[in-house]
Amino acid sequence: MIRLLKSDINKGFRLVVQRYSPKLYWHIRRLVILHEDADDALQNTFLNAWKNIGEFRNESSLYTWLYAIATNESLALINKKKRNSAVSLDDLGNYFVNSPEGSTWFDGDEAEVKLQNAILKLPEKQRIVFNLKYFEDMTYEDMSKVLKTSEGALKASYHHAVKKIEKMLGGD
Amino acid sequence: MKPTENIPGKNPFKVPENYFEEVNRKIISATADIEPAIVKKRIYHRLRPWLAVAASVAVLILLGYGAVKIFLPGSRNLELPEISLQEFAESYPDDTDLITLEESVGSLILFEEVPKVNNREIIDYLMLENINENEIYELL
Repeated sequence: MIRLLKSDINKGFRLVVQRYSPKLYWHIRRLVILHEDADDALQNTFLNAWKNIGEFRNESSLYTWLYAIATNESLALINKKKRNSAVSLDDLGNYFVNSPEGSTWFDGDEAEVKLQNAILKLPEKQRIVFNLKYFEDMTYEDMSKVLKTSEGALKASYHHAVKKIEKMLGGD
Repeated sequence: MKPTENIPGKNPFKVPENYFEEVNRKIISATADIEPAIVKKRIYHRLRPWLAVAASVAVLILLGYGAVKIFLPGSRNLELPEISLQEFAESYPDDTDLITLEESVGSLILFEEVPKVNNREIIDYLMLENINENEIYELL
């Protein structure tokens, strides 16, 4: 893919978009929750990637580089929403169940609503770590490149996140 | 069983039909008008691998040269070869006989310092040798 990017940047980038857009979308979606927000963040992620495409150096870093951009875009959007939106992330669990607009793009059962509500109550960093490990099974090595954090700290973060979620789910 | 193990890591979210085909098209058409910033590597970054190779080769050459100088027997040419007196004499010019040679070498070895003799002793010695006192004073 890198070879193709070097020889024909337009063709190479099309391949990058096709290969990574679903994975990045779901990563973003779990962080920003709403489809419309995820759609915006995904497009911004690829626009930023395109503008700075000369920054990455090899195949293995392309994946973590794109995830890092997607994470930053998601967090920027969350912070923007916190200032402006009427619906906070903490209320999204009820929003999915009660709002027709919210439930359109959410088909989880009761257990999944509870899990999403518990995840939304985690601190931001723990939420990202939990999502990347629990849903995407990302290695701590790759995660440390995405989040610029040591593997030890990420393991501890995931451990705390799991404990908190188990406590929240067990308490229901 | 842990509560998280009861819940499969299944994705509960949905997307509109053909969403990914459409969003991919949008992304590609949005990037068509934007020039990507291809970061040109600085000369140092371009040359860095070659500089590393050159430095490694230089270190290897220095180490090799040092090893040859230290360990090869032929390279110890600064040390004087061990040679007997006889061999030395044989290699010396033919018109010098061994006794003369031994005397000259022996005097150098035996008298490292010139013995201290005062003026009076010198004059007494010369007097004993029947040298005229006036001649001595003329020389002084």
